[in-house]
Amino acid sequence: MINFMTRRSFHASILALMAATATPAFAQEAKLSIGMAAPITSLDPHEDSNSPNNATSRHIWDSLIDRGGMAENKPQLASEWEVIDDTHWRFKLREGVTFHDGSAFDAEDVVASLIRARDKDSQAFAAYTRNIANVTAEDEHTVVVETTVPDPLILNSLSRIRIISSEFADAPVAEFENGPAAVGTGPFKLVSYNPGDRVELERNDDYFAGPADWSHVTLRFVPDEGGRLASFLAGDLDLIENLPAEGVQQVENNSKLKITRGQSTRLVYLGMDVSRDESPFVTAKDGSPLDSNPFKDERVRKALLMAMDREAIVDRIMQQNGTVAHQYVAEGFFGHSDDVEEVGYDPEAAKALLAEAGYPDGFAVTIHGPSGRYVNDSEVVQAAGQMLTRIGIDTKVEVMPWSVYSGKYSEGAYSVFLGAWGVNTGEVSNPALAIVAGRDAERGTGRYNGGGIDVPEINELLDKATVTLDEDAREPLLQQISALTFNDVWLLPMHYENVVMGAKQNIEFTPRGDKYTLAYEVHGTTE
Amino acid sequence: MTTSLIRRLIQAGFVIFAMTLIVFLGVNVIGNPVDILINPDLNQAERLKVIESLGLDRPIWQQYLSFLHGLTQGDFGDSFVYSRPALDVILERLPATLELALCAMLIAIVIGLPLGLYAGLHPNRLSSRVIMTGSILGFSLPTFWVGLMFILLFAVQLGWLPSNGRGETAELFGARWSFLTTDGLLHLFLPALNLALFKTSLILRLTRAGVQEVVSQEYVKFARAKGLRENRIILVHILKNLMIPVVTIIGLEFGSLIAFSVVTESIFGWPGMGKLIIDSINLLDRPVIVAYLMMMVVLFVSLNFIIDLCYTLLDPRVRLDGKG
Repeated sequence: MINFMTRRSFHASILALMAATATPAFAQEAKLSIGMAAPITSLDPHEDSNSPNNATSRHIWDSLIDRGGMAENKPQLASEWEVIDDTHWRFKLREGVTFHDGSAFDAEDVVASLIRARDKDSQAFAAYTRNIANVTAEDEHTVVVETTVPDPLILNSLSRIRIISSEFADAPVAEFENGPAAVGTGPFKLVSYNPGDRVELERNDDYFAGPADWSHVTLRFVPDEGGRLASFLAGDLDLIENLPAEGVQQVENNSKLKITRGQSTRLVYLGMDVSRDESPFVTAKDGSPLDSNPFKDERVRKALLMAMDREAIVDRIMQQNGTVAHQYVAEGFFGHSDDVEEVGYDPEAAKALLAEAGYPDGFAVTIHGPSGRYVNDSEVVQAAGQMLTRIGIDTKVEVMPWSVYSGKYSEGAYSVFLGAWGVNTGEVSNPALAIVAGRDAERGTGRYNGGGIDVPEINELLDKATVTLDEDAREPLLQQISALTFNDVWLLPMHYENVVMGAKQNIEFTPRGDKYTLAYEVHGTTE
Repeated sequence: MTTSLIRRLIQAGFVIFAMTLIVFLGVNVIGNPVDILINPDLNQAERLKVIESLGLDRPIWQQYLSFLHGLTQGDFGDSFVYSRPALDVILERLPATLELALCAMLIAIVIGLPLGLYAGLHPNRLSSRVIMTGSILGFSLPTFWVGLMFILLFAVQLGWLPSNGRGETAELFGARWSFLTTDGLLHLFLPALNLALFKTSLILRLTRAGVQEVVSQEYVKFARAKGLRENRIILVHILKNLMIPVVTIIGLEFGSLIAFSVVTESIFGWPGMGKLIIDSINLLDRPVIVAYLMMMVVLFVSLNFIIDLCYTLLDPRVRLDGKG
């Protein structure tokens, strides 16, 4: 009977069978090699918070909450949860879960893990743990998390923190790296870790959500683009992250390989100085100063947006590795607003708007941007410059290394600048607080608001949204923020970067918004 | 000889001490690791906590003194990035770099020396000209390009060799080595060959030049006149006399193979120290940079020492005390 099924339906039926009989599935031998674009810095899941580390730790450990590919919160080690009051959340823990070493998972492990992540010297997870006041175990399978302030993002925060066994709460980093402490409840067990080279994993047959498709998984770190592409073409790697643009043609021509694209949550945008009366890099065409800062006029900002042929940028410069953006987050993410007017490419209308705003002959401006930080960033800035010149704004372009650029643009040194924000919570308040909210050092808002945007209405909505726990009440607030930001053109949204991966024909993987490559979500199909 | 050895050791000690000062102050001049290492999402209080835990809140002379204090106990401090002792981070990558460098040097010697000898003894043969022209290519082709071509040809097109990584490793002396397994050897071959290319050309040309110089010397002519066999003339009278410059170069180049093989390591995904140091510089991981540079100073000082010892074995006229 098995012979007549595809592996996938076979897998599904095994799961169904398991649910009925609760016996583990028998092991299928299947190996998977993933080529990751950046190495991890540590196997200790609480030591450092960056994409490769967090993606790797998700193979071995689980969190209370599972973050889906669209940043949705799903039960993982917590099977259900409830809000007790504004600052207390109760989580029911899944029963019958064991760590790889056979010990049982219970509330003590949750308490130890959350506190450990919060109090680590590296403070890597501070952004997620700073609101956690206390964690208490009510009984063996119930924990209560107390927050210092009402925190609507606490579920997202908890999805970031891996649950380790309380036995290893005091273990130093080295013990995670060598193996003894690297014991989780996740879908894979650690076999070995070779720094800078690879992590070897084997399947956890007792995984509570059902065993993975792969008996052995190797996460290879191959940051060199040429090397990663070559390994993939040679067949050493089954799936690679960040397929380099020069490899697209080769992969398309190879019948054994394919390209898998997905949309990331990273929004690339152009910011404008909307606060100063005299902006440092804006002048009249003859170089003399202007009477006022043109970007304070909504019509000028809109003209700039109309001048951008974003379809062409995505198509030619990004080589399809991007999707045209109109607001903070794409459809399907929390806070996406249907009321945002989508502005198309229309240079004639842009010229008319400029004339209406009092700049019939345009003006001169310099756009600043980073080089090598975002996908084809300097080319995008150059194209934007040419498009502005086409509507009569003389545009110069200046790009510089990220280490030089990063400090300057966030402090508002430029008149027009390229920025980007990876929306790691998958909802609107995260980017809005960082790049659009009024600058307030004490409260930490607007840290990357390089244009000096300060709209009281948006600030008020944000203040409200950051303490509203009820998702149904929160969503309209965020939608209004999206609409206000983009209908008044406070930012020029360019595109969302795409996730471009190379895979063998028989490998199925849907790229995630957070760009994590998770072997558990990779499936094999019969050829 | 013993006194001169001791004098040498004291000199080396001074060099190493001076380097601690230069290196430590040097890395403190370039950039502020706080800006790069600390997560931008942190607020002021959290930042201060991290800065304190990294020890960066103290004045630089205090940092230097505690660094020196640590040194006396063999402790270079903890890496900012990896949160483990910097020396451990480097040492666990040392075997990979070491075996790569040794294999590359071996290939360079095994190919370069005989070919150079041949080209020097028979300079007018067509095959010699081919060898010499080939060595120009070995010199001038950029390593990264040759590496990528190797991968394209042997891994992608022909599929004979793996493209990337260390392959299977086996444990020896508490470290993991690739050359002990067949799979590891296969992985080792391409990067070692890539790295050896330049060195082969260097040794080849050096040997050839040496041979041409020595061949016309009186004692070679005399040996010939005495009726010695050609093999003996080449192996004893010629080879031994041209070895001094060659050994010097082999020694120094071996040092540079270990210290600067970063390009090859990146292309072939070889998890060695070269890659580590570049990453560390980009992330301003000061303890690792300092520990690495210190190790390199020690390495070059000891290599020079060993080279000098080799001279005395090769040429009885050379004395370490310089009175020879």
